[in-house]
Amino acid sequence: MMREARIRRMPMALSALVALALAVLPLPPVLQALRPDLLVLVVFYWSIESPRAGGLTLAFISGLALDVIQGVVLGQHALALTLMAGWATHLRLRLRVFSVLSQCLTIFALLTGYQFVLFWVDGATGNPVTTFGRWLAPVIGALFWPLLVGALSRFRER
Amino acid sequence: MVAFRNSDTSGRITGLLLRCVLYSLLALGLIIVDKRYDHLGRIRRVLSVVAYPVQIAVASPFEGWDWFRESVSSRGTLRADKAKLEAELRLAQFRLQRYEALEAESQRLRALRDKTAEVTDRFVIGNVMDIDLDAFRERVLVDKGAQDGVFVGQAVLDSGGVFGQVARVGQLTAEVILVSDATHAIPVQVNRNGLRTIAVGTGDMGRLKLPYLPTSADVIAGDLLVTSGLGGGFPAGYPVGTVADVKRDPAQSLADVDVKPAAALDRSRELMFVWLKAQPAAGTGAAIAKSLPPAARMPNVPVPHATPPQAQPQLRSPNEAAKPATIPPPPGANDE
Repeated sequence: MMREARIRRMPMALSALVALALAVLPLPPVLQALRPDLLVLVVFYWSIESPRAGGLTLAFISGLALDVIQGVVLGQHALALTLMAGWATHLRLRLRVFSVLSQCLTIFALLTGYQFVLFWVDGATGNPVTTFGRWLAPVIGALFWPLLVGALSRFRER
Repeated sequence: MVAFRNSDTSGRITGLLLRCVLYSLLALGLIIVDKRYDHLGRIRRVLSVVAYPVQIAVASPFEGWDWFRESVSSRGTLRADKAKLEAELRLAQFRLQRYEALEAESQRLRALRDKTAEVTDRFVIGNVMDIDLDAFRERVLVDKGAQDGVFVGQAVLDSGGVFGQVARVGQLTAEVILVSDATHAIPVQVNRNGLRTIAVGTGDMGRLKLPYLPTSADVIAGDLLVTSGLGGGFPAGYPVGTVADVKRDPAQSLADVDVKPAAALDRSRELMFVWLKAQPAAGTGAAIAKSLPPAARMPNVPVPHATPPQAQPQLRSPNEAAKPATIPPPPGANDE
């Protein structure tokens, strides 16, 4: 049990790091609003795939990293990501038997919740971003989900 | 394609709710402490050092590509570039001759009038890093931080004009908020007639707004806006933008004025961090500026505070050769 958990953490950390790098990769301004929240999806994946390997800790640390890198209030992404990763872990058994479409819809709901927490913290700390573009992110993320799961499970097999 | 294949499919996860609540409370606590109190600055600085390798790793391939393109550019292009740069340099030097004379004159006149000279004294050049911060906020990351003396609120210029100000400082990097950010405002003045107002960002890099001008205000398309220096954050007299469009609706009490920013907000790679000469003691930057000897801060120009009226003749001497005839001799002005 203990040993299994330790083996699993390496790909977790690695994929999270790659996703973090992709989150700040410079894109042309037109594509910026279309960038999927890859790190969030990666955290969801590991929360569902290996819930005992510490998905919540990964969520909290990844969230903090996003806060620091994006320069927003410390704890904003950490809060949103922890809550939604907890929810994803709770839903994991159902998600596993869902069809691709239902999975995407569930992920869409999770991502919307994530954006909502971000939106709420933004508003509470006095710099609201009311652009409509931010509500596009859950759609993009949900469309990316099957690709990401495919890539990550292949990555895990090796 | 979408498949989860681990064996761990059964059972409850002990303490999931507890851990979720704990982490959430921790995050909430962080948010409140970060928002309400200023204690997290040091923690954030340390964390930003940890994040630095990731930022470098992302930015370096792009810098490498730029370097590669530069190194394989053809001889013809380089020659053309060189000719162009030389022409520009000649023009700039020509202008600069006059600028130095004028600045010396302005300094002298200010000293005569016993006013503080709100002139910038020190620049540090920083490079914009190839990092996208937030798609919905106009900010850039620059590779100068607290260890270079950069401080929060510091004015940042590019070669065209005012670029923005420092929003957050890490140990090695600083986050600059652009003048076009929707939450940014800067005190400005119409260069033609001295009309003072505030330019506010719109969230669009190509546009600022002057929302506080009445319809009767004397402002026309093409007017140059410069910083007024009021509020103390920005040095006075730097271009902010030109008025692009003025819409006057008689039914409204305020005019709708669009401004095109002077700085190349979407293209600039080199930015200048500015220290004001009369900077109120604000963090490390001011401390560094003060620790420099006056001569290093601005050669040829005496410190206005330090010169009593009796010292005027001395004061004149360094610039005498450069500007013999254009201004009346200071002692005459002093007698009145």
